Amino acid sequence: MKKKALALVLASAMVASLAGCGSSETTTAETTAETTAETTAETTAETTAEETTAAEEEEAITATITVWGPSEDQSEENGNWLPTMCEQFAAEHPNWDITFEYGVCAEGDAKAMVTQDPTAAADVYMFANDNITDLIASNGIAKLGGETAEYVQSTNSAAIVDSVSVDGDIYGVPFTTNTWYMYYDTSVFTEEDVKNLDTMLEKGVVSFPLTNSWYIQAFYVGNGCTLFGDGYDEAAGIDFSGDKAVAVTEYLVDLVANPNFVNDADGKGLSGLRDGSVNAIFSGSWDAASVKEALGDNFGAVALPTYTLNGEEKQMYAFAGSKAIGVNPNCENMQVAVALAKYLGSAEAQKAHYELRNIVPCNTELLADSSVAADAVVTAQNDTFDNTSIIQPFVAAMGNYWGPAESMGKALINGEVTHENAAEQTEAMNTTMNSDGL
Amino acid sequence: MKKKETTSAKTRRFITNSIVHICLAILAAVWVFPILWVVLTSFRAEKGSYTTTFLPKSYTLDNYIKLFTDTTVLDFPQMFMNTLIIAIFSCLISTFFVLSVSYCMSRLRFKMRKPYMNMAMIIGLFPGFMSMVAVYYILKAIGLSEGSMIRVALVLVYSAGTGLGFQIAKGFFDTIPKSLDEAAYLDGATKFQVFTKVTMPLSKPIIVYTVLTSFISPWVDFIFAKVICRAESKYYTVAIGLWKMLEKEYIDNWYTCFAAGAVCISIPIAALFMFMQRYYVDGLSGAVKG
Repeated sequence: MKKKALALVLASAMVASLAGCGSSETTTAETTAETTAETTAETTAETTAEETTAAEEEEAITATITVWGPSEDQSEENGNWLPTMCEQFAAEHPNWDITFEYGVCAEGDAKAMVTQDPTAAADVYMFANDNITDLIASNGIAKLGGETAEYVQSTNSAAIVDSVSVDGDIYGVPFTTNTWYMYYDTSVFTEEDVKNLDTMLEKGVVSFPLTNSWYIQAFYVGNGCTLFGDGYDEAAGIDFSGDKAVAVTEYLVDLVANPNFVNDADGKGLSGLRDGSVNAIFSGSWDAASVKEALGDNFGAVALPTYTLNGEEKQMYAFAGSKAIGVNPNCENMQVAVALAKYLGSAEAQKAHYELRNIVPCNTELLADSSVAADAVVTAQNDTFDNTSIIQPFVAAMGNYWGPAESMGKALINGEVTHENAAEQTEAMNTTMNSDGL
Repeated sequence: MKKKETTSAKTRRFITNSIVHICLAILAAVWVFPILWVVLTSFRAEKGSYTTTFLPKSYTLDNYIKLFTDTTVLDFPQMFMNTLIIAIFSCLISTFFVLSVSYCMSRLRFKMRKPYMNMAMIIGLFPGFMSMVAVYYILKAIGLSEGSMIRVALVLVYSAGTGLGFQIAKGFFDTIPKSLDEAAYLDGATKFQVFTKVTMPLSKPIIVYTVLTSFISPWVDFIFAKVICRAESKYYTVAIGLWKMLEKEYIDNWYTCFAAGAVCISIPIAALFMFMQRYYVDGLSGAVKG
């Protein structure tokens, strides 16, 4: 009996303590949720941003700011960009006593890492612009207003501003563009040759990642296929149908059959450049160092070429996006976080980023700088962004694009798609891209 | 006539055996090749993720050196130590849990025994990562999701639920004669003493098995480590590190190091196995004398 009573008491004590935990936990959660909802919805981001300008003599703030960025930005070997910039920012604001905490999160992972638990995520983080829709949906990113928004608009090209805007609101301070272009061996191709893919294929071996859906659309978009109208109109859907798409599929069937074409999968392109069996590849700035090492003095980088479809020259179009600094609406010191985001995306920070890690800047003034403009990689990336790319749509339905496009690439490489069934296969791809089913 | 028959029987047996052996050899090769390939790749001198030849053209130790010295971007030694610490602790705790639960299920009789075993069976049918989001929020609520407490959280995650996997050990305990326990009780032993002094020494193979399986789980688990560590790279385990090495930005530079890392992970596991292997043989030999 005694034992049972004891057990009962213990059990009830446990339940009580658990319940205690639970209730206190929920209340705090609710209150923070309420305050953040109030503050973030419209006011804070904008007012704080204005405050920073209005109050020249800043009020004293003690804050702990968590910052997430890729690990290269935090490594000694690569110049420690992120901590250096944060310290400089703190030095510029002597009245703010800021403690920085750093976390590792590559730009493309922001979607997964921040949305997992926005309340425990970083206050300021770097993200790739295609993550925006998910971040907004999970209340993981704040609108920027006032002076910060003006700064973004005044220092970037319209295309870059659009890439971080949703419904007219700006959500991040862009610091680089994100796209792919062409690397080639200058001893094989002349500057004239690299303007047309088919000319190149006659002279040397070209490797293209046809089985990667981030690349294959270059051909389709080149012949008038569209993704969500201008990229922002979800209702317009994906238009990879009709004769224009079939003609491209037919072209790709021939391309795959060309002995001078190598499909770039599992690093085949880069390893081919190393041993000389491939003379041109399509990739982005992340491979710049490896390609330079492989090609040495013959290194060349240029915007995308055209391809010849039934006698007509068609321009290839890459997907382009940007990487930007975002602010978490659940952050306690909005004012500081917004100011830091703006600082990390400023011309000064972009310049340091370029010098330390070759991150191509997107600030318009900085791009005009002769030392930056002379870099082949910068020129290639910016030419691509400005002329031979479309903004990668980040509407939710874009998620249906990737699978079918990749399947098409694989089927082309396997030889499952032939001239006979090209029309049928293209139509099937278009149908799946426009349906919500898997 | 008779002689001819034996020769043909002999030839026939020889042919059958040859076919069987060739089949087995092919299967063995298929099974071993991927492992061999990873080991060879870890010593490959050519850079990059793709090579045109199956076997590397030249060999080097640089991949291992880079893996353990180039720590600014991906700190493999740190990840290795994290995982080792987590593995040791969760191995100790979960081995204790599994053996205790198994002993209770096998030797004690109580009302909840059957319902508990059924429940464990059913819960065990669900994949563990089903609960990962819930687990994360519970850990966050009790303050284990940040800083050095992440290690504690991971040890908890890997060991706390292992009591449900008692079936194999229980099956083994069931084969130990009850008369041994009864003899010990007559000598005045408590239940715990019977467990530690009688059952345990007779169950070495199953203890080895339990220790090994619970030691391996932190090395191979990716999902929970990713969900719980999030951006805190100081507490990453090897699984996250190896996954990172294959990301678009790193793959070209780190691919061969990835193979080296995979080989390194097998070392502690293999060492533990070799150390414990000798206990596999013992078993019940000499348990009941006379």
